[in-house]
Amino acid sequence: METAQLTTARPAPAVPARRDWSALFAYLLISPPLLVLTLLIFIPAAQAVIETLSTTDAATGQTTLTLQNYIAFFQDPILVANLEFTIQITIATVALLFVIGFPLALYLRFSKSRIAAAVQVLALFPLFVPGVILSFALIEFLGSHGMFDTMLNLIGIQGYRTPYQHLQGIVIALVWENIPFTVLILTAGLRQVEDAVVESARDVGANFWQIFTRILLPLSKRSAMIVLCLNIIGVFGAFTIPYLLGPAQPMTMGVSMQQTFNRYEDRTGALTQAVITFLFCAVVGVLYVRTITQPREGQR
Amino acid sequence: MSTPFTSAQTANAPVRLPPANFSKWLKAIRRDAFGILMLVALFIVIIGPMIAVILWAFTQPGGWRYPSLIPTRWGLNYWADTLMRADVTRALPLSIGLATVVTALSAAICLPAAYAFARMNFPGRQALLLSFLATNAFPRFGLYISIAIIFFRLGLIATIPGVILIQIVNTLLLMIWIPTSAFQGVDRTLEEAALDVGASRVRVFLQVTLPLVLPALAAALLLTFVSTFYEAQGALLIGIPNVITMPVLMYDIINSQPEPQYGAVISLVLWLPSLLLLLFAQRFVRGGAISAGFGV
Repeated sequence: METAQLTTARPAPAVPARRDWSALFAYLLISPPLLVLTLLIFIPAAQAVIETLSTTDAATGQTTLTLQNYIAFFQDPILVANLEFTIQITIATVALLFVIGFPLALYLRFSKSRIAAAVQVLALFPLFVPGVILSFALIEFLGSHGMFDTMLNLIGIQGYRTPYQHLQGIVIALVWENIPFTVLILTAGLRQVEDAVVESARDVGANFWQIFTRILLPLSKRSAMIVLCLNIIGVFGAFTIPYLLGPAQPMTMGVSMQQTFNRYEDRTGALTQAVITFLFCAVVGVLYVRTITQPREGQR
Repeated sequence: MSTPFTSAQTANAPVRLPPANFSKWLKAIRRDAFGILMLVALFIVIIGPMIAVILWAFTQPGGWRYPSLIPTRWGLNYWADTLMRADVTRALPLSIGLATVVTALSAAICLPAAYAFARMNFPGRQALLLSFLATNAFPRFGLYISIAIIFFRLGLIATIPGVILIQIVNTLLLMIWIPTSAFQGVDRTLEEAALDVGASRVRVFLQVTLPLVLPALAAALLLTFVSTFYEAQGALLIGIPNVITMPVLMYDIINSQPEPQYGAVISLVLWLPSLLLLLFAQRFVRGGAISAGFGV
């Protein structure tokens, strides 16, 4: 399988005389998905920003710019607590994903043993477990008097307190769900470091730590950046896991938005919360887009 | 073989005696202690919860109580009960139908575009292809809320077209990027050779290009079908209370059903397509197609 190369493998230039027509035909072919992308992603997102920043006077029908929706959000202690809760979960999840994912990826990149193959199968397994099933499984496994509690009990550990309906439960499930993605991307990045580079460093007497900090880390910066950005955005935009595993209060932003929209039918309130998650992710999103549009090292 | 070792045999082919083998094993373990440690930890953490679900699905009413590690009374009591629930018999065909329609629509929209991205030259090609990756930059549920507001005004809430549309959003990236890289991977000289011996362009596409990209296209279709089948958040937000798919039904069962057996049986039934994918897609996932979809 060739992977889509951004900078190489450009199609051969078409015959100049037919060029205009073939370009037109190409635009025709790509317009349907671009239309869906524009109508269902870019326009709703832009509309959300505009709508929450404006207010229409019922009497005169005049629309004016206002921050009142955002002021209302930040004056509501429950909503602010929800935002803080989401940020805490994001930081904890992303940090844990790196602590677990980086050693796993390094191991999978450099070990060729049968155990490594088995570790890889297990690390990718969550890719094939949908969020609702995962949430149900973790409730049964980690709940008080669940299977994990029983296992601890068997080896003599008492006083287990379940993470279910606590921040920890959400973090555990989100880490579980995102390990395959993290390991896949980090391993793919490490694979771009050639064996020969590592071996020649080893030949001149570099130890593991030197190889790690001077070669592997700098060369896998791109994939680490992608993992960081997408995991932050992913956790911020999560719904199923926090909804099923989290406490009733505080909620994550995703759950809060859904409740505001479906239960309280407060559309503007839900939209304001959505835009706040956009803003929090915007910095990271820009970083992500910049990372993927930059040409890869050594491929310019 | 019934005959014991003869001296000739031992001389010709050194028999691997258990002790030697064992010490080799030990050495391998010591060398890969980190790997084994991770294997055990991952097994408990990743497979453990799945085992709990499987065990619950085969437990009689009240047949598994703390502190027993496994159920004490086994049975299939809940299977017929669960699968004949009216909400399940309504949701399962709906989910399969929706996933089929969404996959077909997504393929019809995206595959010609993927061909164009891979094989044609036009201004803005890179930027437009990258704009599909930019969808990753939005927090998913916030985006769904802003779509839902527009759907609310268009009267698409709680309708099947509304659910189809929101689920298509999720499929674009996969359906564009995997086929694009597949079309790019086709060796041009094969097509040119066919053209040289007089085949028409259509025939070259059907008989040379298409067979070469078919495995990747099949993988893209399968991945799209399965991920749509399991898509729960968009379907919940847009679909309730009229359009209830299987994953949306799971939310309700998890929240309101005190006996875990119902959820366990539905989980196992729901999980079937994913297991199929697991068997089919292992090699594909390792090939790097998925990581390419995130711009690595």
